[in-house]
Amino acid sequence: MAKKVAYMGMLTALAFVFSYIEFLLPINLGVPGIKLGLANLVVIVALYLLDVRWACSLSVVRILLVGLTFGNPASMIYSLAGGILSLVIMIIAKKGKLFSVMGVSILGGVFHNIGQIVVAVFVVETTSLLYYLPVLILSGTIAGVLIGILSAILIRHLKKAIQAEGTKCE
Amino acid sequence: MKKLRQAGILVAAVLVLAGVVCIQYYNQKLQRYEGQFFGSFDTVTTVTGYAKSQKDFSEKLGLLEEKLAHYHQLFDIYHTYDGVNNIKTINDAAGKQAVKVDGEILDLLRLGKDMYARTEGKVHIAYGSVLSLWHDCREEGLRSQEQARIPTEEELAKRAVHTDMDDLVIDEEAATVFLRDGEMSLDVGSIGKGYAVQKVAEYAREIGMEHTLISVGGNVCAVGGKADGTPWVVGVENPRPDNGEPYIATVEIDSGCIVTSGDYQRYYEVEGERYCHIIDPDTNMPPQYFSSVSVRTKDSGVADAFSTALFNMEYEAGLALVENMEDMEAMWVGKDGQIRYSGGFNNDEEK
Amino acid sequence: MKKNDVILLAALIVAALAGFGGVSLYSKLSTREPQAVAYLDGEEQGRYPLSEDTTVEIRQTDGSYNILQIQNGKAEITAASCPDKVCVNHRPVGGQGESLVCLPNKMVVEIENGEELGIDAGTR
Repeated sequence: MAKKVAYMGMLTALAFVFSYIEFLLPINLGVPGIKLGLANLVVIVALYLLDVRWACSLSVVRILLVGLTFGNPASMIYSLAGGILSLVIMIIAKKGKLFSVMGVSILGGVFHNIGQIVVAVFVVETTSLLYYLPVLILSGTIAGVLIGILSAILIRHLKKAIQAEGTKCE
Repeated sequence: MKKLRQAGILVAAVLVLAGVVCIQYYNQKLQRYEGQFFGSFDTVTTVTGYAKSQKDFSEKLGLLEEKLAHYHQLFDIYHTYDGVNNIKTINDAAGKQAVKVDGEILDLLRLGKDMYARTEGKVHIAYGSVLSLWHDCREEGLRSQEQARIPTEEELAKRAVHTDMDDLVIDEEAATVFLRDGEMSLDVGSIGKGYAVQKVAEYAREIGMEHTLISVGGNVCAVGGKADGTPWVVGVENPRPDNGEPYIATVEIDSGCIVTSGDYQRYYEVEGERYCHIIDPDTNMPPQYFSSVSVRTKDSGVADAFSTALFNMEYEAGLALVENMEDMEAMWVGKDGQIRYSGGFNNDEEK
Repeated sequence: MKKNDVILLAALIVAALAGFGGVSLYSKLSTREPQAVAYLDGEEQGRYPLSEDTTVEIRQTDGSYNILQIQNGKAEITAASCPDKVCVNHRPVGGQGESLVCLPNKMVVEIENGEELGIDAGTR
């Protein structure tokens, strides 16, 4: 338990830092909301190495932290919508065992964008925002692939470390 | 497990709270809207302003529309309305009896008398008998080009006898208006719209429309600048746009009004000659000095009156009048297209 | 990487491309080109692109009419049955949000997707 809490703290901090980096270096392609989603990398790692509950709380804590520090309330609600939808989809995808980390990551990236845009449609009250959907599906897919590659590498290496320590502790 | 559930509830509560905060934060952001309505003062009213939502803006627009329609009824010279004593009621009772009227009609007539005095009689609200003759000739001339004619000098002279401002008797205490001369009539066309726009602008401020631009048929009034603090840009329409730009000047305003009188909106032609709807009380004829005159000042009623007055007098006399007024600027566009300004009319060029 | 991952990837890319096609088709249908939109008593009567010279008679059942002419990218009323002819005297319009109004006939022509004039209101 204590070990998990320690990992949890580290991962949360890492996710927070990743969010900050993306905040400092935004990708501007003319469409709002396009980003790599480095923080999702950490969430996926938590999903695979810790468990569902830890991944959930990590995701929510990160979004709240970001929203309260360098975000604003409006951006926070978008992040929450994207983050929660993306996480739920990833959990289902992982449980279903149909996909590898790569597939889970892609789904996470795509649905993060979908969640955000759905909220935006409700808030701004214009369906014309759905014009962005194809762009955001594509950018979500690309980001998902990149994050998927990184996640697979990270999980492979960290798994050994965690399991090695785990056996020692037990 | 129990602890976990409690934690879950806590997180859920935080999320709901955060959501509420976000939605409220979003709602406070003002967006720009534009709305139009018709019917009042025989023209189009366009309102540009900022509101939290389309619904909010539409509601306020509806209030402004109601307010403007109220003044339209009060100042109407062609129609009567149930339960309202308006200018037509006064005209119909000319020579017979005094009519009890709303305080705002008294207010308007006072403004009319004041403007008459300040403009050497070039704005004349008791000039209805002559104006209606021109009005009838214009409508007839527009209906059939062949029969287009201007009133004869005798006709005009006969009508002009019944335009003595002193025969407009206002009893402040009884709140009544009486036209002593049975043949005379009021026509508040030169100030009524301006007065109404001023009142509507003040009303807009009262109901919280802090950044609003109101244009009643080109009679423009600003209630504060744009939401971002920059002023509104008002274009002065080119009276002869056939060869050139639609606007010949732009003016930035964040308060106050600008009103234009021109010969290019309401006019008719007789034997190739253009006769516009503005009539000089001294000659009983449409003046031939300018194609348009624009006036900017704080009060829309005053701006309306002065744009008419300046249209009716030569440039030098008009300029002297403008320079005598506090906080008033004007722009004259001659029949030949020559543009002249008073000192600070075009604030963009000054900078 | 599993086979399913590849299928997912392909499916998403196809979906995105289909979406792009749909959006561009849709925006082509709901033309963004400047056009004059005629209304009678608030009801839309027709849309006429400013790029095509044309003359339209906007007639009502009571016999009143306005003739809308589109020429050189501008719209104007060249004749009308109304008594005051303010609409006929109005200059041709082509700028974003500009309008031609005939109050007696309750007829409005509004310019959509026109050139931005950078002016909030006009005084006339």
